[in-house]
Amino acid sequence: MKSRTTWRWNPVRGEYEKGAPPPLEGTGEISAIDAFTNKRMLLLGGTGFVGKVLLAMVLDRFPELKHIVVQVRRKKNVSGQQRFDSEVLHSASLRPIVQQIGEMAVREKVLVVEGDVGQPLCGISSDHLELLKGKVDVVVNLAGVVDFDPPVNESFEPNVYGTLHIIELVKLLNARLVHVSTAYVAGKKNGRISEDIPIEGYFPRRGERDDEHFSVAEELKWYEQFVKETRDSRATNPRPIRDRLREGGLRRADYWGWTNTYTYTKSMGEQLIAATPGLTYAIVRPAIVESSLHFPFPGWNEGFTTSAPLVLMGGEGVKGWPVRNGPLEIIPVDLVTAGILIVTAAVLCEKHNRVYHLASADENPIMLPRLVAFLGMNARYKHKRKKSGNRLANIWKAYVETQVITVESLQARRSRLHRGLDVMHAVLTLGKTLFGAKRVGPYLKSLRDTRRQIRAQEVTLDKFLPFMFHNSFIFETRNIRQAASMLTNEDLKRLRWDPEWIDWADYWVNIHTKGIEKWIRPVFTASRKTGT
Amino acid sequence: MNKAAFYDLDGTLLSCNLVTMHAYYARNDRSILKSVYQFTKVLLSVPLYFGLDLYSRSLFNIFSFRAYRGMHRDRLIGLSDDLFEVTLKPSIFPQAEALIRTTRELGYRNVLVTGTLDFQVRPIALHFGIDEVICNRLEFRNHIATGRVLPPLIAENEKAHRIREYAAEEDIDLGQSCAFSDSSADVPMLSAVGHPVATNPTRRLRHVALEMNWPILELRESSSKFPPFLSVAKVH
Repeated sequence: MKSRTTWRWNPVRGEYEKGAPPPLEGTGEISAIDAFTNKRMLLLGGTGFVGKVLLAMVLDRFPELKHIVVQVRRKKNVSGQQRFDSEVLHSASLRPIVQQIGEMAVREKVLVVEGDVGQPLCGISSDHLELLKGKVDVVVNLAGVVDFDPPVNESFEPNVYGTLHIIELVKLLNARLVHVSTAYVAGKKNGRISEDIPIEGYFPRRGERDDEHFSVAEELKWYEQFVKETRDSRATNPRPIRDRLREGGLRRADYWGWTNTYTYTKSMGEQLIAATPGLTYAIVRPAIVESSLHFPFPGWNEGFTTSAPLVLMGGEGVKGWPVRNGPLEIIPVDLVTAGILIVTAAVLCEKHNRVYHLASADENPIMLPRLVAFLGMNARYKHKRKKSGNRLANIWKAYVETQVITVESLQARRSRLHRGLDVMHAVLTLGKTLFGAKRVGPYLKSLRDTRRQIRAQEVTLDKFLPFMFHNSFIFETRNIRQAASMLTNEDLKRLRWDPEWIDWADYWVNIHTKGIEKWIRPVFTASRKTGT
Repeated sequence: MNKAAFYDLDGTLLSCNLVTMHAYYARNDRSILKSVYQFTKVLLSVPLYFGLDLYSRSLFNIFSFRAYRGMHRDRLIGLSDDLFEVTLKPSIFPQAEALIRTTRELGYRNVLVTGTLDFQVRPIALHFGIDEVICNRLEFRNHIATGRVLPPLIAENEKAHRIREYAAEEDIDLGQSCAFSDSSADVPMLSAVGHPVATNPTRRLRHVALEMNWPILELRESSSKFPPFLSVAKVH
């Protein structure tokens, strides 16, 4: 549907303006088209959410690129090529492009190599390495584990040791590196986060602990020792090793000032790259990556790693949201991939900076209380027409508005809720004794399920508290705007960096929420049923 | 050259109007008390709306948009799907979808030309699979509606003007195009095309249609026949 109007929405000023947006004009210092012509790109992490959109965008926008080598990890009996075919080539994100240019053309352009960033030289076979040596111009690394709090080894292996293997590979191939990290390596900070903060030796609590120094080598020593001690104590400590490894990672991250194990290990990955002499690199730090705005189609999303859990919880009728009156740093995935390609072009032209934040709040912030209101309106829409479940609960969820609350108020609500659930449990247990398991058993089971769901919601919400309540970030994006302004006008028709024009109301209501309901909820519901 | 089918919305494709749409937002304010207060205000204004509509559609529009003053744009957009499901969808006339499908199959480009607001039109246009929309927009200051509409107000003569402008830009042959409306306020729009159709006409428009020999179509009745220039309609 196209709207014929002479007015355009200015999301920053919150009003309509007369006329079309000014045409984007670049200085032409960098030509992305020339930079990509006859070049070869090695893509690590091409099976992930961002990786697939990036691959689709490269295929769609830069036919001049000679080859894209995609490294894919084998999974048990499924080869890398088979995984590429099923998980990438035939995925919803690539389907429009494959239909447009043809599967044969894609197969001719894309070379799949099996590998694993957890292995030396990323586990690429010596035959393939011989084939690629000196022929890959740029390595784009999107590989890594993005879970916030996995057991520490599951984060260290890909995000720290994996980065060491990538550096080895890039040096062997004599290529340049575009490394995708996260803006949240800044850690527990508030306010504007500069792109110029030195990478090596960085830890978020540096200002508070002037006498301490952060060193990746020391952290690797700590890690080896901690994992060994935890595993060795299996006989004396009855708690599951996974739990203790998870807690150990979180404690260590918190000690240095990072929000979780993910940001802690990603920062170390960056520090290893920055410490490597002679490496031509750029580090791209996206904020929270969300559904696509336009490409490959509006609303494309995948996985639970972004704000999807919050949107799903909002849809289930959670009413109290502990947020501060600050922005949530979100950025649509297609803007992220456009940003990565702009940076890659800059790296190929050797006119790049070291760090690029890809975020929105610098120019067009979406404030958290607005998002809370959107969650409430979505719950109203869903629960008004919900046929299943308790009718009274559905009415309550539909008509009671969401509220912005403090963490203290959240804790008080939680304890009241759990006390209430305890009382209900006691009453039902008594009922079971008096009236028998056959009559009361189903109610007890239902109560247990509700409790499990509430607990899962609490855990999810707690994971997001650093980004919603405890800290308020604005990531400066000067470098990506500068790089985009250096492109040619022809490039700017293919790649745009314009988060300042995102109409957040339209995006959140008509694109993002619908995208999550369409692409994420079915997977989420299925996984809840199977208990995975 | 291309041809287009221009549709009015309220009263033509569905029975809702600007007042019922605003009443929805009044009923769904942030608290029950606010909802009761706002809805009472709408109820009390109904006689005034009725009189204004009889006198001038433009004045009616201007007055009804004033009721949105102070509302946040997020809320207007955030509730638009619910508005569609609760209020608009049930009021779609039985033959409306068949008519739009028919014009599409006959190669007309379907265009909504309506005084309704953009966020209300969006779900309707998506539901009907309408290609393009010419509609009104509210003025906002810092995301809050001022109660004014952005110029030009899409109503009466302005609809005809926008259709001509659209036709010139899109290479549309207005002589081969058709337009559908229920109101005498849209006589200029109907007169701008080669095939005007008085659709569920008001008494005044029915009178004009009989005088001008325009076909009359009742989308409220499922047995109603489409005008002869839409001959494929017989298939449906």
